[in-house]
Amino acid sequence: MIRFLEISNESLFFFYLISNVINLALLIVAIYKNTIHRYRLESLRLEGIRSSPFTPPISLLVPARNEEKCIVDNVNSLLRLDYPQLEVIVVNDASSDRTMGELSDNFGLHRSPILYIAEIETAPVTAIYRSAAHQQLLVLDKKSAGCKADAINAGINAASSPYVCVVDADSILEKDSLSRIMAGIISDPERVVAVGGIVRILNGSIVEGAELKEVRLPRTHIEMLQVIEYLRAFLVGREAWAAFNLLPIISGAFGIFRRDLLLKIGGFRADAVGEDFDLIVRLHRYLHDHKIDYHINFIPDPTCWTEAPSDYTSLARQRARWHKGLLDTLWSTRDMLFRTRYGRVGWIILPYMWLFECFSPVLELFGYFTIILAIVLGALSQRFFIQFLLFGYAFATLISVGSVLLEEMNYRRYASWREATWLLVYCLFEHIPYRQMTIAWRLRGIWEYLRGDLSWHQVTRTGAAGGAAVQSAGATGKKR
Amino acid sequence: MGSDSSWVRDLGFAWLVARAILFSLLGIVLLVAFIVFRRWYRGRYFVRLSERTVVLREQWADILSGKIPGSAWRSNPLDCQIVEDMLLDNIEVSEKDQVPAFLACLRNSGLLDLRIREARSSEGWHRRSVLLALGRTRAAEAVPALVEALESSSEETRVAAVRGLGRISLAKAAVPLLDLYAAGQLNVPEHTLKNALLNCCRELPQVLLPYLNQTAGRTRELIARVLGELADPSLGEELLILAADPLPEVRASAARALAKVQPEISFPVLSTLAVDTEWFVRLRAVIALSSLDHAGKTHVLLRALCDLNRHVRQRSAWTLARMHQGKEDILKKVVATQDNYALQAFLSELERCGTLDAALDGLGNLVNHAPEGANVENVAAVVKEHFATPARTAAAAAGKLR
Repeated sequence: MIRFLEISNESLFFFYLISNVINLALLIVAIYKNTIHRYRLESLRLEGIRSSPFTPPISLLVPARNEEKCIVDNVNSLLRLDYPQLEVIVVNDASSDRTMGELSDNFGLHRSPILYIAEIETAPVTAIYRSAAHQQLLVLDKKSAGCKADAINAGINAASSPYVCVVDADSILEKDSLSRIMAGIISDPERVVAVGGIVRILNGSIVEGAELKEVRLPRTHIEMLQVIEYLRAFLVGREAWAAFNLLPIISGAFGIFRRDLLLKIGGFRADAVGEDFDLIVRLHRYLHDHKIDYHINFIPDPTCWTEAPSDYTSLARQRARWHKGLLDTLWSTRDMLFRTRYGRVGWIILPYMWLFECFSPVLELFGYFTIILAIVLGALSQRFFIQFLLFGYAFATLISVGSVLLEEMNYRRYASWREATWLLVYCLFEHIPYRQMTIAWRLRGIWEYLRGDLSWHQVTRTGAAGGAAVQSAGATGKKR
Repeated sequence: MGSDSSWVRDLGFAWLVARAILFSLLGIVLLVAFIVFRRWYRGRYFVRLSERTVVLREQWADILSGKIPGSAWRSNPLDCQIVEDMLLDNIEVSEKDQVPAFLACLRNSGLLDLRIREARSSEGWHRRSVLLALGRTRAAEAVPALVEALESSSEETRVAAVRGLGRISLAKAAVPLLDLYAAGQLNVPEHTLKNALLNCCRELPQVLLPYLNQTAGRTRELIARVLGELADPSLGEELLILAADPLPEVRASAARALAKVQPEISFPVLSTLAVDTEWFVRLRAVIALSSLDHAGKTHVLLRALCDLNRHVRQRSAWTLARMHQGKEDILKKVVATQDNYALQAFLSELERCGTLDAALDGLGNLVNHAPEGANVENVAAVVKEHFATPARTAAAAAGKLR
């Protein structure tokens, strides 16, 4: 027993060590990539993209279900985006509230005889409307298939541009975000098939009419901790993985894709729990299967602001769902693991996702259990236990502080000394007890998945993204 | 761990962990210190920048006229940067006749020569920023240095050089770009190159023609695309030849450009392109026709209204619905096509223009004159399904439909 506990604890230590060393390597790569990106931005003139007749058109797809509170402001905000050729397609996914009515009243919708060909199979589209006031606004009214993916797929079918950008109806895109994200495609249109932008947390900021007036940090602990989490996930993780063309996910809240490829892979998988992660893995698979030279990129400056859950119940549901989505996609693509034909995707990123994302809550829980047992049985020296905790804490904090450094060096959305100080302070509090709570929520996700509970657990929303002024937004439970 | 037999412990495991902790803590302290220092330094820098900008702005007239010699501000890097930025910003926004004064200041102060030297001798990101700055000067003597950078092994540098040449906006800057590109020796993203050529050839699109004639494939398509954006009436005859090109991209560009040529010359060619085998050529032709003032275009647009491609149909409907000609007359002809998609597209556009009701009033009368075999029931069904209010349906269904 003692020997078992020893081996278990040592394994746990090395698991942590490897995980942290990988994170440190990712941080170093991200710092390098961010620096290069900053230099590139200095020579990039967005005006050149905006005024050029050669800039490719984009169809913005906005799946909307029961978004009456914010839909009008948000569509208005999308129509005001600074991009030369933009088509906005709102897909009303059988809303039971006045989402369709609000759209109709405010944008003068009339039925349009657009020929809709369901290249990707979806629930029936009952009507297509075009706005009299805004030529570029199209609204699809469709029956529900019970998932966001189906609504996005209907939008992909109706889109007329070579690129589609998927945006959540309750998120806010910065005015120049499309020009910035397209810069990543324009630089290498042959290879770049999809690009993700950064998703930042809106809670606490001042919003008027779906326009972000002033960026501020949230006020509650739980929201602040998510700010640090998002910075680390996007500025470190995605930036670094994208450098090796191993980006495993593009956020469902903001990403741009080549439409022809989406059609070829059958769009978003309607029965996927985490449709955004699932889509990118399937894109990797398709492109490897067809031996196409490609790059799925992440660009850190095009920004989408979104509400984060502001209470523990909503956050727990969100994290459980994310983990279900992770498990669901990893399981459905298990045949890609360690297959030469999938190259680095099969040998690096998918095993990493299995081990350090999917199984990590289980391993950590098991580790806590064996450590406690070892202490009880006197098989663990107190000194080592403290060292072990300190090591895990200090190393993880280092990575979080590194992500704040990246934010400081390149983007500085939180400009005041006070905000910078708070960001650093919260880096110190992120790992105890928040990390342990997320482990519990992720374990719940695993449990629900194993039980076959794949539901979304819809939560109510405040409509803060379209509201007048937001200090502490409500829960959406919808972003990754 | 607790046992003396632990192999890890034999290796000095605890010491290793302690070192890892120390390393992490040291890393945290260094990162925090760097963040704090950087914030402090930037704050100080911007205060100084602001102060010096105010001072230099007060002396701006003397700096421009040369009363304050270049040596007075060039030796201070901050002052030099501020003056250069101010000069380049002014060059970008000024009218043509005001530019020489700013350019003279750049030349007389020696700053332009310094940048040209740097463009040739420096490396990396500094070189790239100098190349862009040189482009912003719009000085013809900067072209050779920019052209040299086109042969750099770094793609980033080549892109900066292309952007720089684009910003110079002189036909002289387009020639080396075209020479290298036509020879297949310029490897940069197409979008960047197209924009640069667009800027450089804006005043003299004829520069593109010889290259269009001597290239093939994708190179030819790119040049044609730029020409399509820039063409003016003086290119009329050349465009007629391009309209018969085997490459559809070139034909589409020709169609786009023909919109700017006299209708007597362009109409017959656009009529032919409106039935091209490629949908985007047909679309371009229909768009061009919409801006053309020619009596015969209604017939061509009606044919395009029955196109297999929805974009062509919609664009044709858009044009037809906005023509001054009587809507009833056009509607009559649309009905005569017996194409429900065409009718749908046209009625939808009429509705968007706010003229649907008037046109539908005419539809009631129209049915009595429908040609033999015209499927008026289908027409009514379309109207009912997509546009009907009770009043409209009644109007549309009058006569035969009962």
